[in-house]
Amino acid sequence: MYRETGLVNSPPPSGQDDAVLLGLVQRGDEYAMAALFDRYSKVVYSVALRVLRDPSAAEDVLQEIFMQIWRNPDGFVATRGSLGGWLAVVSRNRSIDALRRKRPMESVDDMALASNYNLANEAERNSLMEKARGVINLLPIEQRKTLEMAFFDGLTHSEIAEMTGDPLGTVKTRIRSALTSLRKAFPA
Amino acid sequence: MSEPRRITSEDLALFAMQLLPAEEMAEVAAYVEQSEDARRELAEIQGDLAMYAHTVEMQSPSAQARERLMKQIGREKKAIPIDRPVEDVAARSTNDEFGHAPGSLYAIEEEPKRGFAGKVLPWVGWAVAAGLAVTAGDLYKERETLRSAVTEQSSRIDHLTADQAAARQVLDAMTDSSALRVTLNVKGAPPAVPQGRATYVASKGTLIFTATNLEPLQPSKTYELWLIPAGAGQNPIPAGTFRPDARGNAHVIMPPLPKGVEAKAFGVTVEDEGGAATPTLPIILVGAAAGE
Repeated sequence: MYRETGLVNSPPPSGQDDAVLLGLVQRGDEYAMAALFDRYSKVVYSVALRVLRDPSAAEDVLQEIFMQIWRNPDGFVATRGSLGGWLAVVSRNRSIDALRRKRPMESVDDMALASNYNLANEAERNSLMEKARGVINLLPIEQRKTLEMAFFDGLTHSEIAEMTGDPLGTVKTRIRSALTSLRKAFPA
Repeated sequence: MSEPRRITSEDLALFAMQLLPAEEMAEVAAYVEQSEDARRELAEIQGDLAMYAHTVEMQSPSAQARERLMKQIGREKKAIPIDRPVEDVAARSTNDEFGHAPGSLYAIEEEPKRGFAGKVLPWVGWAVAAGLAVTAGDLYKERETLRSAVTEQSSRIDHLTADQAAARQVLDAMTDSSALRVTLNVKGAPPAVPQGRATYVASKGTLIFTATNLEPLQPSKTYELWLIPAGAGQNPIPAGTFRPDARGNAHVIMPPLPKGVEAKAFGVTVEDEGGAATPTLPIILVGAAAGE
């Protein structure tokens, strides 16, 4: 309760709201920053590691993203959606940029993200992960593989079409259908 | 004049994943800027992608990663605003010995009365000295941290430079057409036949292929190397074209290949100049991966 009034630099209680923690980070609270790191570092690191397949490079992405939050906590505003979801997507995007050795594309990171789930809560997060994995495992193999190649390997639809021998339109439709299935499993 | 392209939700999904060519990215970004519906759909797609990202197998970063972050944020400390809400002060303190709530008007009036100059001046000198001492200490600490970071970076660069030089030397030796190449056989073995040797790391998509005693080709033809993926129904993946030198030697070093494709076998075919998307029979050289 007292943390909600904005006391800085004392350990926050677990389960503190993301928005409150971001507010404290804004005021230079290192404990709040550590709490955000403890909450989300695993997913940020895991996504980066899946894309880059290199623990050291994945830790560099992890460091870069959390330093971005420290330097500019305003960069994420609550109206954009869930912080956990945003971090997972930004981790993927930054890792693909690192893979392509190109500068981050801020215009895409800046996008809003629709999410009705509280990824700040560990139990809810774990249950959502399990459910999402279940949905993905039930997708037709071509859809699953195509989405994986696009999202985690950063292959363009043309590259996927070239590798699989499938028409471009089919590749695009598979990606979209896979995402639609995922969305249907998590209704608003 | 050409009609503007219709932006579909498939395009928005590719845009969200940054998988469109630069000009299409700009085109979709402009469309999203002006269309409320597109922004809403894009937010939904980002939500779907966030959920998908969470399907990844979870791994914890090392303890050093946390330590490194905390050190870095310690170095980039922020100035904490002093206009802290009154409630905070109240929450942090306990009541005074007279039972007055902290911050209350009564408590303030109990303070001994002194003139402004009498209160402030004796402390000004000390405050300045203390401020200078703290600043000097901070600067010294910062300088030491930077110095150790520079030393560490410089040592890392030295290592990387040495590694890179060694790797370049290996690559040069493998690709140098004037290099002496000798195939060793048991004494009295029959004359050497065309032979290829592939070294492949599936997880990194790294492939090194060398061949010896290859037949020369017509100018309009080329050899093409194929990676035949493990698992039924997968098409061979082209892994580079090559022509042998005058002594029948050839190589393909690290062709662009997707990561994580397990190989069942490798094969070499003869194709028209420029290579082909699917192999043309017969397969000139073939080798199954160990265990296949």
